[in-house]
Amino acid sequence: MNTLVVYCHPDPESFTAAVRDAVVESLTAGGHDVRVRDLYGEGFDPKFSAEERRTHLAPGPLKSVEAHAEELHWCRHLVLVYPTWWSGQPSMLKGWMDRVWVRGVAWELAPGGKRIKARLKNVRRITAVTTHGSSKWVNVLEGEGGKRTVTRSLRSVCHPLTRTDWLAMYGADASTAEQREAFLAAVRRKLGKVKR
Amino acid sequence: MSAHPCADSYSHAITAAATTGLERHGHQVTALDLYDIDFPPAMTKDEHDAYKAKQPPPDPTVRAHGELVQQADTLVFVYPTWWSGPPAVLKGWLERVLVPGVAFTFDAKGKVEPALTNVKRVVGVSTYGSPWSYVKLVNDNGRRTLTRAFRLTCGRGTKTTWLGLYSIDTSGPNERTAFLDRVEHSMTHMK
Repeated sequence: MNTLVVYCHPDPESFTAAVRDAVVESLTAGGHDVRVRDLYGEGFDPKFSAEERRTHLAPGPLKSVEAHAEELHWCRHLVLVYPTWWSGQPSMLKGWMDRVWVRGVAWELAPGGKRIKARLKNVRRITAVTTHGSSKWVNVLEGEGGKRTVTRSLRSVCHPLTRTDWLAMYGADASTAEQREAFLAAVRRKLGKVKR
Repeated sequence: MSAHPCADSYSHAITAAATTGLERHGHQVTALDLYDIDFPPAMTKDEHDAYKAKQPPPDPTVRAHGELVQQADTLVFVYPTWWSGPPAVLKGWLERVLVPGVAFTFDAKGKVEPALTNVKRVVGVSTYGSPWSYVKLVNDNGRRTLTRAFRLTCGRGTKTTWLGLYSIDTSGPNERTAFLDRVEHSMTHMK
């Protein structure tokens, strides 16, 4: 399956980087065609600009993010790997959504139309792999914003039968080396089972 | 706090209406326009290292914003909702400014203790492309980030206020003007 892994963490030595490696290894071993985007690594600019705002009703992204848009149309499986901060995606990843998931790429609006049409019908599966510093209980209290952004908001412009998987490690701040190893093993097991 | 890329936007008109209302009520208002000051949204590796070491952020602007938050009685966030959340620049502002020592501290067991007990009220004013029903369906994640996740770092009695203009793309001038009046009125009469 064509798989796009979007990875987001400022520190190349972080646990999230180890999670990304586990994701990529298991998917590659499973025979998937995997492409990885490292948003911090490539110096992605997450700020939706005034120019983009002025042209946001014209279809298509800016030249600078065209390659990202093409990959989004190429993939059948989208995997997001990031730490959860303030109950959601880091600004870098949020900016990737703001700038790449634009009209003509992720959605379409007919002239005079009221409802947007999904344009990412090629995406049949979304997997989010994330770490939360706080406990599951705190995240439930906070409303699990990041989870719903993926499973509801992003999913709404994909194929109607898109499957979403949420692989989360809660309480990462206070976690032991064994717990982190167990999470990596769970990630490998889960992504190793994804069918071609 | 405002976060819209165009200075002539409706979102800026909301900020102006909110400011008028707050000043009429006798509040002293400090406005931060994140696009206007060209605030970099992404937390850097240096900042992440400082966070882990429980050190203050290396950037003096970020530290100054933290001090402003620690002095505020009320925080008002004005932004357009994109992909059910705040624009990256506002999300990044939360990540970079509200760090340990500013918004919360860790106790001996590593548990988060709120530090912004000075904040008595959190206000959000947002515009949505989607109708109210759809916003509820996807969980209104930006609202939850501010009225729940951020609210948890404030005092126990901290109140929240949320004002939303839904289906903005199909809204007419009357609805927009009425919403500005509502924002101004709400800020003027806020306890």
